[in-house]
Amino acid sequence: MPPAGIWIDGLIQSCIYMTMAFGMVLVFSILGILNWAHGQFYMFGAIIVYYTVTAGGIPFPISILISGLLMAVLGISVKKLVIDRVKGDLYVGVVTISLIFFFEGAASILFGMQDRGLSMLLPGVMNLGSFSISYQKVAVLIFTLVVMVAMYIVLNRTKVGRAIRATAQQPDAASLYGVSVERLSLTVMGIGCGLAAMAGSIMAPVYSINPFMGRIPMIMALLAIVIGGIGSLTGAIVGGIILGFLNSVIAYYLSYFSEVVLFLLVIFILLVRPQGLFGASLK
Amino acid sequence: MKKSYGIATILVTAVMVLGILGIAGAPNTTQAQTSGPIIIKVGTPTALSGPAGPWGQIGVAPIQAWVELFNKEGFKVGNKTYNFQVINVDDKNTPEGGAAAAKKLIYEDKVKFIISHWTWNFPSVSAVANQAKVIYLCRTGNEAVPGGVYDPKKQPYTVFANPSHEQFISDIFAIAEAFPNYKRIGINDSTLGKGIGWDYVDRELDKAKIRYHHEWYAPGTQDFTPYITRYNEAGCDIIYGAGDVMAAMLITKQRWEMGFKTWRTGTAGTLLDPMMYIGVSGLEASQGFIAQYFANWDFKKTKVNPKYIKECQEAMAMISKQQGKPYLYTGWIGWGPHHLQILAQAMQRAGTVDNPDAIMKAIRGGTFDTAIGKFTFSGAKTYGSPIVFGTPGCLSQIKGDKEVYLSEHPLTSLP
Repeated sequence: MPPAGIWIDGLIQSCIYMTMAFGMVLVFSILGILNWAHGQFYMFGAIIVYYTVTAGGIPFPISILISGLLMAVLGISVKKLVIDRVKGDLYVGVVTISLIFFFEGAASILFGMQDRGLSMLLPGVMNLGSFSISYQKVAVLIFTLVVMVAMYIVLNRTKVGRAIRATAQQPDAASLYGVSVERLSLTVMGIGCGLAAMAGSIMAPVYSINPFMGRIPMIMALLAIVIGGIGSLTGAIVGGIILGFLNSVIAYYLSYFSEVVLFLLVIFILLVRPQGLFGASLK
Repeated sequence: MKKSYGIATILVTAVMVLGILGIAGAPNTTQAQTSGPIIIKVGTPTALSGPAGPWGQIGVAPIQAWVELFNKEGFKVGNKTYNFQVINVDDKNTPEGGAAAAKKLIYEDKVKFIISHWTWNFPSVSAVANQAKVIYLCRTGNEAVPGGVYDPKKQPYTVFANPSHEQFISDIFAIAEAFPNYKRIGINDSTLGKGIGWDYVDRELDKAKIRYHHEWYAPGTQDFTPYITRYNEAGCDIIYGAGDVMAAMLITKQRWEMGFKTWRTGTAGTLLDPMMYIGVSGLEASQGFIAQYFANWDFKKTKVNPKYIKECQEAMAMISKQQGKPYLYTGWIGWGPHHLQILAQAMQRAGTVDNPDAIMKAIRGGTFDTAIGKFTFSGAKTYGSPIVFGTPGCLSQIKGDKEVYLSEHPLTSLP
């Protein structure tokens, strides 16, 4: 049985994959596209927080909100100026993949390629007997809880949320009821990118910050939504949880083979249940 | 007919006049060469972009500054004085980038030598350099140890002027000497470094009865909790990272957060700037962080010519003045000046700057006095040719926000 520290680590990983996957699925459910540059919004979120905290002296929680808002705006701009002008899923995919390299290149020039960190934000560790957990990681848990509760309220208790759910299920019917699908798609893109940015922000003090830090979270988010079921918000959450724990436990036992095993697992799930755990049947 | 004949005559005359004026106005290159030092172009393919970019970029300016100082006197071969000109080209730390950079340097920039090559594309750069008979100074690695791609017969112009895996051995011995009561040294590297080079290191560590435990991580790993947990289970109290610096910084930070505050951590590489590590890992967690150290003025076991120490310090002072803040990185000393000094001395002994075979003959098995000490090229048994240099094996540690000397285990000769 892995020690307690590994389970706590798994929980932290789950939080981030869940948040990233949720944002991706939200975008997919309305726009019908996978934003391959989702990880780069995560990266920009971390970079923005780095500057707002160190250069701007802005408190960390407010910096997270600022990064979310700014990246929401960028996401909306990308949707309006780039994605909407490209026809065909293949070409949208190519464009969003190109954005990965564009954003990383831009970040390399603006931020530099040297690793930086935010080690001083919530210093200290909580000793819990046989293991310790840093206050920064506790903040990740609290952040994720707040985000998930907020998203639940938005999706289930607000007009926008109802419109999102209606459009995800029946876009034509929703538009007949007066929902502006185009405006909603921009909103959803903004929310999705904002969530990715906030995930990057909350993790910035946990890991290091560099222009290439968004790649692995993006891949993990993709795995999470495949496990959970593309198009299912519940699936994204459950997929993120499963993936986070699996990643930590497998890495404990198998070291760098953990990625191999994870991808094998994804292939297995796709063979046995192609729609994922919570996705609609493909029949 | 008469009109066209006249126009042709005018045109021909104009061309002849312009040609004569052009010849008269052209600089007399022969006179320029005989009236001043002759320039020898040297190329450096190095990472100037991408994730490894910071480590290539930081060495460019001080090496250029050092060359400027070196060229004040230059070096003599026969009765002629020579100066170096170092040209940097981005190799992007990829095989294709390395080959492209080497080709540009050799065929466009016309360099005579390639130096300071430390990135991960030895086979491609070595192939291009050897084909063109350009002497190529680099470091050992998986490709060079027995069983690797290096073949002295096929790559007669390759010189391992810096040891790589041998340096890891030196570092680990220096750590064991600095902390004689250590329990176990945890070693890590990314899977990119996995190979026969590490098998060779392990054999040497086993021979010396060093207690250690290896971990390998996938490139790009940011969460080292599982690895730190296994280090704890293996009884490690010092962690030495031979992979990327980010991994070393994250392990330093994460082991602190997991409660292992008494462990020492470090990296096989020089510190870019202590504040970078403090920024990522935290001030407290970074204290005692170990790194390679090429500050030749601080060496205790390796003697360095005082003139070379002064040149290195002056070059760093120049860069500090240029950038308006102290320039602290010392890794460049173990590469640029060291390689150029080997070449200058080899050319002097060979009595030629143009004959790569004669220069290589002077290098093989020769003893050279450089900015990192006096070493003899050895390794004939291990590498098939005595073309592996030693290293001071000096380590530093972070104390406060400064880098200070820790210990030293010079590598002097190899079988």
